[in-house]
Amino acid sequence: MRRVIEVEELTRVEGHGRIEVVIEGTEVKDVKMAIFEGPRFFEAFIESVHYEKVPDIMRRICAICTASHSLASIRTIENAFDVKVTEQTRILRDLLIHGEMIESHALHVFMLALPDFLGFPDAIRMASKYPEEVKAALQLKHAGNMVHNVVSGREVHGMNERVGGFSKIPSEKELKDIRAAMVSTKQTAELAVDLFAKVEIPKYAESENTLMALDPGEKYGFIGDYVLVSDGTRHPVQDYPSLTNERTVKHSHAKFSSYKGSSYMVGALSRILLNRDKLEGTAAELYEEHKDILTSRNTLMNNLAQAIELVHSVDRCIEDIDILLSNGLKNEGLVEAEPRASRGIGAVEAPRGTLYHDYTFDENGCVVKANVITPTAQNAANMEKDYRVAAERLIKEPDEKLINVFEIIARAYDPCISCSVHLTRIQK
Amino acid sequence: MAKPEKPKIGIFSLTGCGGDQLMILNLEPVLLDLLSRFDIKDFQEGSSYKEDVELDIALVEGSVSTKTDLEKLKKIRERSKMLIAIGDCAIGGCVQAMRNGQMSMEERMKKVYGVSEDYYDVLEPKGLSSYVKVDLEIPGCPIEKDEILHAITSLLHGDMPEEIDYPVCVECKLNGYPCVLVEKGMPCLGPLVTAGCNARCPRLGLDCIGCRGPISDEANVAAELKVLLDKGYDEEYILNRLRFFGGNFEDIQNLTKKLSEKSEKKEGE
Repeated sequence: MRRVIEVEELTRVEGHGRIEVVIEGTEVKDVKMAIFEGPRFFEAFIESVHYEKVPDIMRRICAICTASHSLASIRTIENAFDVKVTEQTRILRDLLIHGEMIESHALHVFMLALPDFLGFPDAIRMASKYPEEVKAALQLKHAGNMVHNVVSGREVHGMNERVGGFSKIPSEKELKDIRAAMVSTKQTAELAVDLFAKVEIPKYAESENTLMALDPGEKYGFIGDYVLVSDGTRHPVQDYPSLTNERTVKHSHAKFSSYKGSSYMVGALSRILLNRDKLEGTAAELYEEHKDILTSRNTLMNNLAQAIELVHSVDRCIEDIDILLSNGLKNEGLVEAEPRASRGIGAVEAPRGTLYHDYTFDENGCVVKANVITPTAQNAANMEKDYRVAAERLIKEPDEKLINVFEIIARAYDPCISCSVHLTRIQK
Repeated sequence: MAKPEKPKIGIFSLTGCGGDQLMILNLEPVLLDLLSRFDIKDFQEGSSYKEDVELDIALVEGSVSTKTDLEKLKKIRERSKMLIAIGDCAIGGCVQAMRNGQMSMEERMKKVYGVSEDYYDVLEPKGLSSYVKVDLEIPGCPIEKDEILHAITSLLHGDMPEEIDYPVCVECKLNGYPCVLVEKGMPCLGPLVTAGCNARCPRLGLDCIGCRGPISDEANVAAELKVLLDKGYDEEYILNRLRFFGGNFEDIQNLTKKLSEKSEKKEGE
């Protein structure tokens, strides 16, 4: 008997994706993660644009990872032109990406993922039984957005972070307001860990996963120049083509990635497991408490890893603000870039995983070639592997059950489909 | 007395970054209260609940970039009393339309995917009104929170929200910000662009890049071009700037044509 199990359109994820699994008798024949969000061609548009405005366009690849794209873009340009930024800029960028992590993870953990485990179709309906939790989650999300607003200029597609620094330095009062919001919502971040640690996390997708994440340096974080892989290797981000090996597939507008011939996973679970020794304070304690269930074999644990990152990010925002305030805020202006014909590659950890930008410039500083590799495109092949594993384990279950399982697996990756559909240039 | 029925609403997205729906979700302090005034029948990014019924209001973000988008849009139009385009993508294609009339779809497919145009079902990105009747357009990349909140609450009270028909410069002057175009010579697009952002970029000392799109029927593109040429920017640089959010705007497309004819002539000489 041939069964075609289809999730027509994934819900509670950003963008448009479809899952199709074909079962013949007792065998899973075919698995497809189809991404049908329209292709967006950013790498083609950006050609001939002067470097100074490149981040303003490229950040529009994605709304929920807007600051990640903008910082990846800025770092890429600064690498190309050898721009060295100040310590204050470095800390403000760190604050910005941690704020983005809070905004994005709070939305995903509470509003998109948690309803699956508490039995609701959405957070609005979940609010009827868990009103305090949903309200607190919105406050936590709001605290993350305060960082976007103050540091970047807007919640979505800000403009204040520039090549060479920040156009306007936030005021002491603005930073103190963010600090107060972080202090008052820290317990909500801890609640996220608690909620996920309490619910029964299914094991139907358990299998080997190769993990990949940026090495943030001494302290846990989301910006770095080297990539860590769970096989124990470490690579400069410039090696991304051989780490990601993107290829075009007919059934998806997002390209598919592989590392040494197999799929791999990027995102919170990869980061937590590869950089666990760098966690500090409450986040380190929470990791210790839950490390037995936080296994690399279960993709669904990405939700719990995100919750731990929420706690880390709240603490880091407070720490960054304290350092900025004790150093004294300086209106230091932008470090000038001297454009020249060159190539730059830069990466950051977006909420859902490693994000690479790669630009080549002409002598006037205009783009001649661009390539972007997004986390969701990298995860797509691993998602297919998980659907296959789960379908094999649950082959006797009815279609409705499998549809629900595939959706829960997809959501655990916190996919950002808009991001994934502009892809890379094919290397000829 | 029976309670009046809540308006049935659907929130949809075509091709884009998802930022306009996200701005609605960013209304954190009032979000639950606001959503509770509606009967939400379809909201793919926020809910797994779905009911295929007639809608009082459909909010649609994203551009029509594939045949699938177009079919979806037509179905939404059929089932909705009022269709509201939220954000630049749904109005004029936004950055996705940056190279419209300049780079063919075939070229884009070759450049990015290395395959021919018919590999995927792509269309040149356009706003909703190129295909269906649109009752209201709310501009922005992304939309402003206050503006969408005001629009939705107006509709709840049975009023049509007002559309803004003046440029960013008006808000910039009202705030007393120094003019970055005149005083610093930065390539600010404020004179052409729909206000409503409270001149956010000039406040930060930055030039407007036009993310709320050109003001309909009002923008004097030729005059802006002349000012920027006088400031020393070359034509290609200025047109790229104008195209960021104006690729489907007629005056900007015409200027591009003139420029490419001129450079062809030069090459021929």
